[in-house]
Amino acid sequence: MPPTKKKRSRRRTLRQILGGVRRRVRRAAGGARRVWRRSLQLQVVTSTLVISVIVVVVLGAFLSTQINKSVIESRAQSSLSEAYADRLQIADALTPPTDDQAKVADGGTLSGNPLDDVMDTVTGSSEDGSKKRYDVLILNEASPGMSRASGTVVPTNVPHSLSARLRDNVEKLEYGKTIQAIERITFNGQTQPRLTYVVGGIVHQQGNGENFEVYHFFPLDEEEELLSNVRLAIVVVGLGLVLLLAAIAYLVARQVVTPVRLARQAAERLASGKLDERLKVRGEDDLARLANSFNEMAANLALKIHQLEELSQVQRQFVSDVSHELRTPLTTVRMAADLLYDAREDFDPMAARSAELMQAQLERFESMLADLLEISRYDAGAATLDLDPVDVRQVVLRAIEDSEALAERHGTRFDLRLPAEPCMAEIDNRRVERILRNLLFNAIEHGEGREIVVTVGADRDAVAVAVRDHGIGLKPGEDTMVFDRFWRADPSRARTIGGTGLGLAISREDATLHGGWLQAWGQPGEGSQFRLTLPRMAGAGLKGSPLSLVPPEIEMRRTWRGAMTPVLLPASGDLHEED
Amino acid sequence: MRRIRRLGAAIVLAAAVTCAGTGCTVIPVSGPYTMSEPGAGDPLTKPFQRMIATSPQPSWGPEQTIRGLQAAMAAYADDPTVLPQYLTAEALKAWTPSGAVTVLDEPLQFDPPEPGGAEPVQRITLSAKQVARIEEDDTYVPQSGNWERPFHLVKVEGVGYRVSQLPDGLILTRSDVDRAYRPTKLYYLNGSTQDRVVVDNVRLRLKPAETYAKVILERLLKQPSGALQGAASTAFPAGTKIESVRFGEDEHVVVNLSGPLDLLDLSGEDALMAQIRYSLNNNDVAKGRGISVLVDGEPYTSYQPDADDQRWLDNSGNTAFYVSKGAVHHMTKEGPGGAVAGPAGEQRQGYSDFAISKLATHVAARTSTGISMAPLTTQGGQWQEVIRGDDLTPPSWHRDGSLWTFDQKNRVVLRYDPAGKRGPIVVSAPELDRLRLDVTRLRIARDGVRVAVITGKNTVQVGALTTMGGLKLANFRPLTTTEEGNEILDVAWRDDEHLLVLAQSKAGQILNEINVGDGEVAEIPLKDRLKVLAALNEQVLAEAFGEKGKGPKILQLNEDLSWTSKIDSDVESPLFPLG
Repeated sequence: MPPTKKKRSRRRTLRQILGGVRRRVRRAAGGARRVWRRSLQLQVVTSTLVISVIVVVVLGAFLSTQINKSVIESRAQSSLSEAYADRLQIADALTPPTDDQAKVADGGTLSGNPLDDVMDTVTGSSEDGSKKRYDVLILNEASPGMSRASGTVVPTNVPHSLSARLRDNVEKLEYGKTIQAIERITFNGQTQPRLTYVVGGIVHQQGNGENFEVYHFFPLDEEEELLSNVRLAIVVVGLGLVLLLAAIAYLVARQVVTPVRLARQAAERLASGKLDERLKVRGEDDLARLANSFNEMAANLALKIHQLEELSQVQRQFVSDVSHELRTPLTTVRMAADLLYDAREDFDPMAARSAELMQAQLERFESMLADLLEISRYDAGAATLDLDPVDVRQVVLRAIEDSEALAERHGTRFDLRLPAEPCMAEIDNRRVERILRNLLFNAIEHGEGREIVVTVGADRDAVAVAVRDHGIGLKPGEDTMVFDRFWRADPSRARTIGGTGLGLAISREDATLHGGWLQAWGQPGEGSQFRLTLPRMAGAGLKGSPLSLVPPEIEMRRTWRGAMTPVLLPASGDLHEED
Repeated sequence: MRRIRRLGAAIVLAAAVTCAGTGCTVIPVSGPYTMSEPGAGDPLTKPFQRMIATSPQPSWGPEQTIRGLQAAMAAYADDPTVLPQYLTAEALKAWTPSGAVTVLDEPLQFDPPEPGGAEPVQRITLSAKQVARIEEDDTYVPQSGNWERPFHLVKVEGVGYRVSQLPDGLILTRSDVDRAYRPTKLYYLNGSTQDRVVVDNVRLRLKPAETYAKVILERLLKQPSGALQGAASTAFPAGTKIESVRFGEDEHVVVNLSGPLDLLDLSGEDALMAQIRYSLNNNDVAKGRGISVLVDGEPYTSYQPDADDQRWLDNSGNTAFYVSKGAVHHMTKEGPGGAVAGPAGEQRQGYSDFAISKLATHVAARTSTGISMAPLTTQGGQWQEVIRGDDLTPPSWHRDGSLWTFDQKNRVVLRYDPAGKRGPIVVSAPELDRLRLDVTRLRIARDGVRVAVITGKNTVQVGALTTMGGLKLANFRPLTTTEEGNEILDVAWRDDEHLLVLAQSKAGQILNEINVGDGEVAEIPLKDRLKVLAALNEQVLAEAFGEKGKGPKILQLNEDLSWTSKIDSDVESPLFPLG
């Protein structure tokens, strides 16, 4: 079945192409939308374009209508005058001459038929006549040989409605009324209809009661061409105007937007820590004043930040100094306490218990002091890494081994999920082990005796260790606060395993020192998960983590719920709380 | 830079102020400009009016019906649908519009049917003076006399009268012809020498949908009218069509032809252009305009109006001669001039009826024994008798250099060609032979085609030198006849169309200028008794009887038709070359 395969393959290809096109279009639309949202200049130009197009269209239509009206009206007026003058001439010529006139005619050069003579005059057909720009039709169907026409006009060229109304007027004896119409008429010998202004009137002969229908055909070609040219000019000028307005809007917007853009870039640089960033101040306008204000604000901010940095430095130095200073008396106290502790058997129970308590609190005090010293080293930027290629699985196992005693005390069991292949990475073994130990102690402390899942994952670039507990979990927002120094989820709860409150903060610093991430996830009632992600090669940037921050079972549950009732579900935080 | 900016700003401001200023003016004052002259209207056509035929009305009586029929005949060429409505089916079947058009003078008289006639067939007689006949070859033949024709009409119930019998052809009134026809001069090529155009006077019917120029050129494609049949030819090859005649750019008239014209063969272009040019310009069409002839849209030939090319109407100069005491003299503006060179300039007895050849190279004269000729040069020339005969008419030169006369004794036309080195030959003139007419004068026109003969004593006939089937004199038609007892003394060609005829009646002499095309006669008033005529366009000279003791004198006709004496005494026979 190779053809079928080919077809399928073709179909797939076509579908893929269509999909690709759709994706590109969507991407382009998204890009355009993004550009539109981000560019004030584009918004101003587009708005100007739209408004100016509307204005130009409205004005152009109004202008065109006015010009059309005035041209046609003036042409109609002059045509009516010409037609009226012609009808007067015709009426005069057709009136039977008086005796005196007859004598003049006998001696003159007039031909026998007065209708011919007047038509010669009206149409310019006489020897000294010149061609008129209109044609004339005289119709008298009641008398033989009393109908004439000039040019190519024939009686069928007269619009029916016009001749009908003219004949109505005759029946009503309203001979003075003129009927007019503008029609497209195809004259003999022409293929295209011509726009023509037709004027119809009656010449009534009082003597014999005969009526001559006189039609004038005024071509409107020139007017049509003129108006067409005017319309074209309006369109071209309107288009030019719109483009000009758009260009003006572009320039004006640019004048305004460019300083604003510069101010934004300066603000961004300022925000990224370049406190020396300042704007150039040109002139005295509003934008110049904005730049001045910005510069003042930046200067004040820099001053404040400098002051705060100094204060912070003083504080860090103080903590460091205090920690160092405390070590010497603490060592002495420790030695004394050790002696007392060793001799507690000899003391009465009360004193023995006091010696034990003192020993325990001294140990905690020492570890707190050690943590304080460690963190002050980070603050001073003195922390360094001692890197070795290490199998992370071994580090995890060692940390678990260190934590087993504590886990047993809490009745907690570890579920280890390690890959079969070694997970080699360039790390500081001591620090990573400390991180993991901190995470495990933390999980045991908050795991409420439930199972702790430790997962190790690796990919080409990174290794990750996730520690999952099923304790009370974290409230929204606490996933970042847990790394703060001396932070407690519930201040009323006592520390059961003697944590210093600096463990996670130090762990975060350790991870960051490796160029890695230490992140937390948690939901109330669902427990929490901490994920440590480290690059395999020291100094390489992380692009992702081999393990998901959200535990897979939680992720699956979310997906399943989302697929079933995507609309009706309440916000996820509320749902977890209900759970 | 600042100065340049200020200058730029000043220019922009000035331009803005100027624009605003001119914008306030509706029509700004401007000029003077040098403009090329626009063409005054359409030069290709002339306005004319047409009869519009109306259908027969039930209320019309027999006279009105015949008047309507006549009007339908006048409009038949434009609208052939109306005339059949006036005829019964039988009459329509038998009638055809072909044949000569009868032209009647107005008013039309109707012999009314008997009053109260109850017969279904009414007879009514139309009578009028006939003024002309327009032949099928468009020749306008003036007619005189009464014309009468009875019409039979049948009364059809409900629709009125219908004509039951109608002879073929159309009947028009003089007004109809004036309205729809134009006297037109068509120019054809001289059939024998092909070096000059010959005018053919015809009446062309105007077509509403075509320009007059196109009507002229379409007629020019056909053969000339009967008077020039076989004597003149057209440069248009058979099958040529006029595709369009339009008014193009640069005031040029563009004639687009199609047919067998070869764009590469330019041998006939001059003749073709001459035919087109004279046929248009001499009918007041496209006068003063350049003419471009295209063949299938490709340029063929063109004519510029400023090119003063008159060779196609060459009349061989306008030098006048006269004879004094047997010697031929030049005539100057003041009057008498010196004797011509050669033997003709010597005083000699026995020579009369002189004639000057083309380009004034030879002179011929009649003697008692025949016709002699002599060169008008100083080098060794002498009188030489070339045609023998004691009863020959005065000699007449043809523009091809041959000498013509009529042998009255033998009743034959003789032609002597000096270049042929043979004796005179007899030229066939079948019509003169058949009627055994007594030819007393034979004059060949300057166009080399038309021939005027005086037959008998009182008739002038005009024929043509035809070349079909050998050279012969044919196509003779009577031009004018005087009353019995009167005598035609002399004829002279004034130009290609007009012949001067000097007649002697009992009441005195009459000098008429007759148009050989349409027979129109214009009388020239006389003061003195004339004997011999000579004419060339505006110049008309005549030998008149002088006062007692002074001998004959030569008179000149002025523009105001008065005569003045050119040379007072002892002069005779004014002469122009040819004619």
